[in-house]
Amino acid sequence: MRRRASLVLLALAVCCAAMAPTLRWYAFPRLAKIPPNQYQETVLEARPATLLNYSTLKAEKVEKITIIQTLKGNVEESKRIERDAGRDVVVWDALAYVTGPDGKMVSKIPERYIFDAHTQDPVNATGETVDGDPVRREGIEFKWPFLTEKRDYQYFDAQTRTSAPIHYKGTQTFRGLEVYYFEQTVPWTKVPMPKAMPVKGITPQVLADSGLTRWYTTKRMFWVEPVTGAPVNGEEIHREELRNAKALMGQDTITVFEGHVKMRGDYVDSIVEMVGSNRLMVMMLVSYMPWSLTVLALALLALAFWLEARSRRPAAPPAGSPPPGPVTAPV
Amino acid sequence: MRALVAVAIGLAPVLLFVLLVSLVDLPPDGPTSPKPLLTADPGPKK
Repeated sequence: MRRRASLVLLALAVCCAAMAPTLRWYAFPRLAKIPPNQYQETVLEARPATLLNYSTLKAEKVEKITIIQTLKGNVEESKRIERDAGRDVVVWDALAYVTGPDGKMVSKIPERYIFDAHTQDPVNATGETVDGDPVRREGIEFKWPFLTEKRDYQYFDAQTRTSAPIHYKGTQTFRGLEVYYFEQTVPWTKVPMPKAMPVKGITPQVLADSGLTRWYTTKRMFWVEPVTGAPVNGEEIHREELRNAKALMGQDTITVFEGHVKMRGDYVDSIVEMVGSNRLMVMMLVSYMPWSLTVLALALLALAFWLEARSRRPAAPPAGSPPPGPVTAPV
Repeated sequence: MRALVAVAIGLAPVLLFVLLVSLVDLPPDGPTSPKPLLTADPGPKK
């Protein structure tokens, strides 16, 4: 009976011992994925901000500007690209829509971002665009990989259409979560005019023909929850200028936009809540379950050996039998 | 011999799990969201 129990325990111990690494190194990369049909909106605000008034052609202080950023997973496109890529791919159609204090459009930049569903590495495929221009991304955008490391990452900048390192600057606590703080400064760089302008009749071509050039600099800050790789907060100190504007606007340099853009509080709360539940699922796969199974496997193995050892001991004499008599030497 | 059989029995559910993960698309893909890309502040997040 003991022998059978020890064999059952041995089978259970083997099962637990084999399942622990399977969960961590086989199941985790296949199960922890960004769903291809994700839909997420985020609202960011700059209060106050400086904005170019296109009717007076002067930069004015305004109460606020709002950036509405939407990410929408395109399932049909991801399936199409997966057929060639041979791995799980996510296609995000994104729109950064900027409105002034009156709610009217200031600028809008559509993007298509294609990336690996688990590693978040960019997948360079046809259709990868920023504001209608084909791009070839290197590095991450919007989200960090699962199990983010304390190191610099290449981060894609949609304005300059280039990637540059975003630096790990330390670990902080944000709303009870341990987060990694990343920072990137994009120096003044000449960038393309947006395709959609806020005033009818003014097109990027009209501005380009007048000799105007658009320049941009930003300091980008992200607080990233390292288990899920999700930014739980983001800020940008953003400046845009039109240069070579003397002929058209009376002065050489005009500020188009200047402001400290921050994620709005209600969206920070929502993201922190979402990240909290996703974090638990990832931790179950990479830490809680593998370690619990390892400890359980060792305990079961020890119990199996103990039962096996006991079953091999010689049987004790039955209770109530007379004790052996004194031994006398034969005469 | 009995110990080897016990080890094989212990490995069987793990192999089944590996097979399940490799064959079944987990988590399942849903359809593309019908919601549009926003061009106005959707208001406070609930």
